[in-house]
Amino acid sequence: MLTLVPYVLASQGTMLAGRAGVFNVAQEGIMLVGASVGFLGVYLSGGGPLEGLLLAAVVGGLFGLALAYFTTTLKMDQFVIGLALFFIGLALSTLFYRLSIGITLTPPLISTLRDLPVAGLSRIPVLGPIFFRQNILVYGTVLLSLVLHLLLRYTGPGLALRAVGENPMAADALGVNVPHVRYLTTVAGAMLIGLAGAYLPMVYTGTFTEGMVRGRGWLSIALTFFGGWNPALIFLGALFFAGVEVLAFRVQVTGVGVPYQLVLMLPYLATMVVMMPTFRRLQVPAFLGKNYDRERRLLL
Amino acid sequence: MAERVLKGQGWPGPLALVVTSAGPYALGITVAFAAVGIFMAAMGFDVPRAYSTIVFTSFRSVNGFIQTLLKFIPLVLLALAFTVPLAAWKFNIGGEGQLIAGAIGAAAVGILLADLPAIVLLLALILAGILSGAFWAAVPAWLLYRFGINEILTTVLMNFVSFGAMDYVATEVWPDPAAGHPTTVPIAAAGRLPLLVASPPLHTGFIIALAVVVAVYLYLNRTTAGYELRAAGANARAALLHGIAVHRIALLSLVLGGALAGLAGSVEVAGVHHRLIEGVQSNYLLLSILIGLIAKGNTVAVPFVAFAIAALEVGARAMQRTMMIPAEIVFVVDGLILIFVLLSDVVRRR
Repeated sequence: MLTLVPYVLASQGTMLAGRAGVFNVAQEGIMLVGASVGFLGVYLSGGGPLEGLLLAAVVGGLFGLALAYFTTTLKMDQFVIGLALFFIGLALSTLFYRLSIGITLTPPLISTLRDLPVAGLSRIPVLGPIFFRQNILVYGTVLLSLVLHLLLRYTGPGLALRAVGENPMAADALGVNVPHVRYLTTVAGAMLIGLAGAYLPMVYTGTFTEGMVRGRGWLSIALTFFGGWNPALIFLGALFFAGVEVLAFRVQVTGVGVPYQLVLMLPYLATMVVMMPTFRRLQVPAFLGKNYDRERRLLL
Repeated sequence: MAERVLKGQGWPGPLALVVTSAGPYALGITVAFAAVGIFMAAMGFDVPRAYSTIVFTSFRSVNGFIQTLLKFIPLVLLALAFTVPLAAWKFNIGGEGQLIAGAIGAAAVGILLADLPAIVLLLALILAGILSGAFWAAVPAWLLYRFGINEILTTVLMNFVSFGAMDYVATEVWPDPAAGHPTTVPIAAAGRLPLLVASPPLHTGFIIALAVVVAVYLYLNRTTAGYELRAAGANARAALLHGIAVHRIALLSLVLGGALAGLAGSVEVAGVHHRLIEGVQSNYLLLSILIGLIAKGNTVAVPFVAFAIAALEVGARAMQRTMMIPAEIVFVVDGLILIFVLLSDVVRRR
């Protein structure tokens, strides 16, 4: 349960922007900066996790703003800008950390988020602790996925969002402000991704290590596709993935005859295998990755 | 430039050409350095000394220069592994995994076939690396061709798989018990790349890398196959209508990229480490993508940008050693250079 939060948050963030047609590939960088500033926010302010989370969300949002500006307004290629932002995020994350903490022998620690048991329900055997004694981010993530799903499917703004991703020309003709929608979703999505990054030091290790995101950012892109760009499915997909990952750890510990590296590879291989029959059937937003230019007459 | 020709003013002179093509880079570099310099000064660092260390370390000593060249070799190959598929508008983010696959293949040959004579072993080793890398890219390429799965995802996933494979090979298959870090036993001495310079060691991989750059350039720009590749990347629909097998070319471009990365892996094994060390991939993937982007996919620009980045890397490490300034600052400079170069494109288009 714990492991899936960063995946879900990052994937939902990717989905949000993607449903409006902006393909964010900078997740790894944004998550790294989120982790870095999130950790620093808590460590330097000496306060609770709130400062760190807030800071991570804000910084993530800034990256999203940059992405939105360069692609929606300046109409530059989304992948390339995404890669550039990834790089900058990577650089800044280490930079911020080193400048604030310097090189130390023992890693500085912050206290990790406390669990918040839901009274009564958490006492159900087996299922209870799994579902109801988690920290606040886990609850938040589940809630978020639900809310996103409902918003996207059943509300007017949700429809507008989806329209922008499928057919911005039509949406524009109907009066939807396409750039606005793209900006909003990109920034909001990036904020989620930043939070996903901050989750790592705050819940897992209590400290920041370079490269601690370990490719989860890239994975979240895969998971977004895996979940068919649908918030509910993304949650389930992340559950599957996290489940396989935890299985890998268990096998490692109990020492079943299988070499543990093989099991480590399993989540990734499994994802590829599952994508084989399903990828083409996915409802990928038709205008994903393409910029919308109102002045263009040609439809590519 | 096109406007001048159209207006009958003739081609711009050579000076103008140099200025317009190198101009954005120069400007971008200057602004990036300036921006980071201000930041560093605010933190109280000795900016002129820091910058001179970063920029000039590579040229101040033979050792520095050789270090730079040693970094240059895998960087330029990996950058090409990114730019060749990019010409077909496919994004190969799997250079890391393909390099590792190549390294594994090369190490395997170097260890298993240790009895072969020198040249044969070396050639076999390199070939194994190329094929392994090509295979590593062929999996995502096939997934793209057959199932339409986005290559960004699959190449990245394969990176992760390669980490597991590398760890397995280094710890279970041919581990070197004496080493403190997952490593394999060394490959046969016959499998090492001959040295160009004895001390500090610069291996022939440098010649190989340069030859490959030329080969790639010729392939992309002077052959029909290369032309088709670029056409597929520029406008897939038009190319398809003209009978170019766009989907097959996309697959081929990825496999080629993988082969190039695999070559980088085998060169690292044969030239630098002489074994498979976990972590052989270093941070090359990041830098190689950056190089490819800064060079805007232009094969001629790639070696120059790769050299510059290699020099900055060596300089940054030196700076970190001597001045305790985090080396990552140079990443920020790199990233900013990229953004400014891209911006200059936008400005020029308006």
